[in-house]
Amino acid sequence: MAFGGELIYRPRSWRRILRFAGFATVAALSPSAYGPAARAIAVKQIYLTAWQALPRYLLLGGLLSLILIEIVGTSARAYGLGQHALELTLRVLVLELIPLLTALFVALRSGAAVGAEIALMCVSGELEDSEEAGASPLHGELVPRIAAGALSVASLTTLGCALAMLLAYLVFYGFSPAGFAQYTRIVGNVFDAPALAGFLLKCLLFGLAVALIPIATGLEAERGKARSAPFVVLAGLVKLFVVIMAIEVLALVVKYI
Amino acid sequence: MVDKPASDSAAPFGVALLPKSLGVKVGMLIAFTITIAAAFVIYVLFARGVFEATQRLTLVADNAEGVSIGMDLTFSGFPVGRVREIALADDGKARIGIDVPRRDARWLRATSVFTLEVSLVGGAKIRAYTGNLQDAPLADGAVRPVLRGDTAAEIPQLVATLRGVIENVERMTAPGASLQASLDNVRMVSERMAGKYGVLGGMLGGEDNARKVIASIDRANVLLASLNGVALKMDTVLAKTDQRVLGPGGVLDETQKAVTQANAILGEVRESLKKVDVILANAQAASGNVKAATTDLGALRAEVEASLRKVAALIDEINRKWPFERDTKIKLP
Repeated sequence: MAFGGELIYRPRSWRRILRFAGFATVAALSPSAYGPAARAIAVKQIYLTAWQALPRYLLLGGLLSLILIEIVGTSARAYGLGQHALELTLRVLVLELIPLLTALFVALRSGAAVGAEIALMCVSGELEDSEEAGASPLHGELVPRIAAGALSVASLTTLGCALAMLLAYLVFYGFSPAGFAQYTRIVGNVFDAPALAGFLLKCLLFGLAVALIPIATGLEAERGKARSAPFVVLAGLVKLFVVIMAIEVLALVVKYI
Repeated sequence: MVDKPASDSAAPFGVALLPKSLGVKVGMLIAFTITIAAAFVIYVLFARGVFEATQRLTLVADNAEGVSIGMDLTFSGFPVGRVREIALADDGKARIGIDVPRRDARWLRATSVFTLEVSLVGGAKIRAYTGNLQDAPLADGAVRPVLRGDTAAEIPQLVATLRGVIENVERMTAPGASLQASLDNVRMVSERMAGKYGVLGGMLGGEDNARKVIASIDRANVLLASLNGVALKMDTVLAKTDQRVLGPGGVLDETQKAVTQANAILGEVRESLKKVDVILANAQAASGNVKAATTDLGALRAEVEASLRKVAALIDEINRKWPFERDTKIKLP
């Protein structure tokens, strides 16, 4: 625990993460990083992170959405603000909660796994060996995982938001197309250009954080010291939560203050 | 569950342990995600009216408090437009730019009235009212004033106005107020009119004055009767004159002249009588100016007396110049 705490608060560790993020982002944006082997790793990563998690994620997200829609709708009506209930629901759920919960879900489910995988690769010396053999572990092993992680977060957020919007319509208007015009008008009010741009930027930052930080901290494991791996993974997760919360708070501050 | 494949993949290409259709599944997921994202973006653009032809309506308000971008302009409770911009113009008034979809623009006419209502609880509302849907349609880029109805701001104003009204009513109904005095005057006048001398009393302001006018009229009547007597007397005088003139041995042409003169004098008398008539009519109609009428009557009496004196002098002259007199010449005054 003490070791992990040191890792979290060591500024050098944060600097290393930032440097790695810069390198990885540039590498991820260059098409040369995606050879057949890299594509295979990316597809596998997406499969594990998004596809396998999809049913449970949708179930959990749908249930939570349903409960929150009911709570917001009921309390808004109780205060005589029923006409603002749907707008409030969309703002709270789609713009704020679903992206945040998706980032946390992916971080918990696969962030730890990916971090542990990279840490074990470091401990076994696999990455160093491949580097010495002339291959680039950044391109071959890490960039596909990062790209896949970011894509998975984006994919799950999109699907979760779509489900929440569908559920919101069904709860407020039932299985009838009658409320479509009003619903469309409220959607138009909620998703104006700044809100949409902020939403996309936030999702992108969440995706990058969830994909990058566990891998960056996993790389800090030392060769031959298998004991360092759990601490590194834990430090990665804690840093990831700190970053996700910082992004969310920053987004809220920019939007409402 | 995740740990197992992850640890499997410790080998660089451990994909062989995963299902064969992995690529298809991931492709499906990504395609589905992209489809939903694209559909969402198109839906949001549609919801924001990007694909809809709109026309601009600018509302000018003294105060745009409570108005926000994205607010609806409603007509009969249905949204027909959306606030796109709020700006402060050079003249210090707020300009609210509203995009109205062309298909909804038919509800807005050139004669439509726009209100901005700020209630005590909840947001502001911009409403449109169209009295006649057959009027000319609202032009694109139209600028209209908006009537602001602010319940919270109007209450103090309303109270102030109401207080003014109540004070006015109090002042009007207070004892000694001008309204009260006017009513008293009206009652006094109507009481006088109902009195012994009727409207005359009401007009002249008292019974004494009315009595004086009536006395004047009575006196004029008496005078008229005495004038009648004078006229009769003159008739007999004339008859006598006739007889004497037509008598044997008269100097006819001289007498004729005298008679002509007498006729002229009689004409004057008639004029005087006419004046009397006019004065009497004046006295009766005007019922004011009693003093003037009396003065006129005095002058008239003097005139009549002068005429009578002339007649007497004439008769004397005629007697003097009678044909049987020695002096055959008749000297006229």
